[in-house]
Amino acid sequence: MEVLRYTTDVYGRKLLVGASWDLLWVPVALAGLAIIVHQVLRARRRAR
Amino acid sequence: MDSQLRETGTRHQWPDRVFHWTMALSVIVLCATAFLPILGLRFDWVPAHWISGFVLAAAILFHWLRVGLVHGVGEMMPGSDDLREVLLDLRARSGTLGPAKYDAYQKGYHWLSGLVVLVLAATGLLMMAKIDTPWWRRDPSILSDAQWGIVYVAHGFASLAIIFLVILHVYFALLPEHWATLKSMVRGRGPLLTRGARHEQEH
Repeated sequence: MEVLRYTTDVYGRKLLVGASWDLLWVPVALAGLAIIVHQVLRARRRAR
Repeated sequence: MDSQLRETGTRHQWPDRVFHWTMALSVIVLCATAFLPILGLRFDWVPAHWISGFVLAAAILFHWLRVGLVHGVGEMMPGSDDLREVLLDLRARSGTLGPAKYDAYQKGYHWLSGLVVLVLAATGLLMMAKIDTPWWRRDPSILSDAQWGIVYVAHGFASLAIIFLVILHVYFALLPEHWATLKSMVRGRGPLLTRGARHEQEH
């Protein structure tokens, strides 16, 4: 999985053009994980 | 619940509510116009993106004016009680803390999202130099190719971060225990304090 995107200019030089959009699922997955962790902690606290 | 937390009044004045929902709408439009084309939905996304970016930048300036002239930063500044609040929660204990309009998590979210939105706005405004608008012609020569690369990377990673923050914000806002706070962002009236003097485990 690429982290950064590159292109090549007319002189053949490698140019940085941004973050890789292959990472688009990462913030969604992290948010889903944070929500699951919070729901587990919340359920435990309520059960106490 | 702590009796202090039940005390209601005007939690958010109308200009601050207008700011909040203007920012929310512009961020939603910015995310949609940025990510839907990446996901395969083809449309002319650039005009809606830069216009909503301008709206967001104007909203940020308005917010700063309100902070400078009306609110001050005191209620949003983290303090030792915020650290103690987090430590109490991590240990699942109750304790005595200073009452606060915003709890430690709200302050943390505000400063983190503020930083991310500032990076997005600053890099986005720079990128405006690469498009024609009614006010200026494009001029990419203000930065070198390598410098533009850094600007794009910062904008890209900040846009990924804002997805994470928006999802969490919507999730926490919709939790039943936060409905009163959510309603206060619509109607204005709501709990004056998020954290009472007696801190209990509620979240």
